[in-house]
Amino acid sequence: MSEFSRDGNLYSLDLSIDEAHILINLVEQLLELLGEGDFNHHYDESDPFAQLMSQLKAAPEEITTPEDLVLLRLLPNAYADPEAAADFRRYTEPTLRGQKQRTLKQVRAALEIIVDEDRAGVVEDLDSEIWLMAINDLRLALSVRLEINPDSFDIFEALSDDDPQKAIYAVYFWLGWLQTSLLNLLTDG
Amino acid sequence: MSTDTMIESDLNISQLVDKPWVTIVWDDPVNLMSYVTYVFIKLFGFSPEKANALMMQVHNEGRAAVSTGSREEMERDVQRLHEHGLWATLQRDDKN
Repeated sequence: MSEFSRDGNLYSLDLSIDEAHILINLVEQLLELLGEGDFNHHYDESDPFAQLMSQLKAAPEEITTPEDLVLLRLLPNAYADPEAAADFRRYTEPTLRGQKQRTLKQVRAALEIIVDEDRAGVVEDLDSEIWLMAINDLRLALSVRLEINPDSFDIFEALSDDDPQKAIYAVYFWLGWLQTSLLNLLTDG
Repeated sequence: MSTDTMIESDLNISQLVDKPWVTIVWDDPVNLMSYVTYVFIKLFGFSPEKANALMMQVHNEGRAAVSTGSREEMERDVQRLHEHGLWATLQRDDKN
């Protein structure tokens, strides 16, 4: 199974073609859920005009507590009080959403090189902090859909191999293993 | 009598205004323990020992206060924790 490796300050990830496909599909699905559906655009996110446009798209009065539970987990309420939470969300959610989109798009760009060449490959010189946050967001998203709880690993093991849920659980636990391999490298001096 | 009452009332208002805010991190069954510790060190500059103790408090007690300060500072901390996928809220510090 693939894992992260480190040479000095350079981090890389050796992926099979199947693993690369699974990752890029998850990343794109989460990007779409976060409202980023157009993967073909070529403008720079840091372009002042692009930033202005994204602010216009998300006018403060339109921002409300997400109904989708994945979005609510990724963009949670900052206050227990609903009114304070709604106020805070109106002014900060575009920033948080944008940060998550940028993180995922950076991972997507690195994966795209491998996937488009349709071969197993190494993601070289990757940004470890970006990948750490992206993998965490993917795990959070899957955990909501799978309703992960402390008994989930037992539930996963008890599922029969032809249960469609089994593969999704497998990806969820694989991502946890992948994240652990990166954390071990990051905390090892 | 009335003067005393006024002084007392003023003190209460002053306490309310100065009451600090606190950032709470809540337990969830998804974030890895090693990840939560890593994020505490990264965002707050805690020693590994302190970060690990706070992570264990979240894990065992369901929540832990990770920072205190002004409302604006705590809003920034909550936002940074949300960027990293931790479940965090801010509130007035009830202990003071």
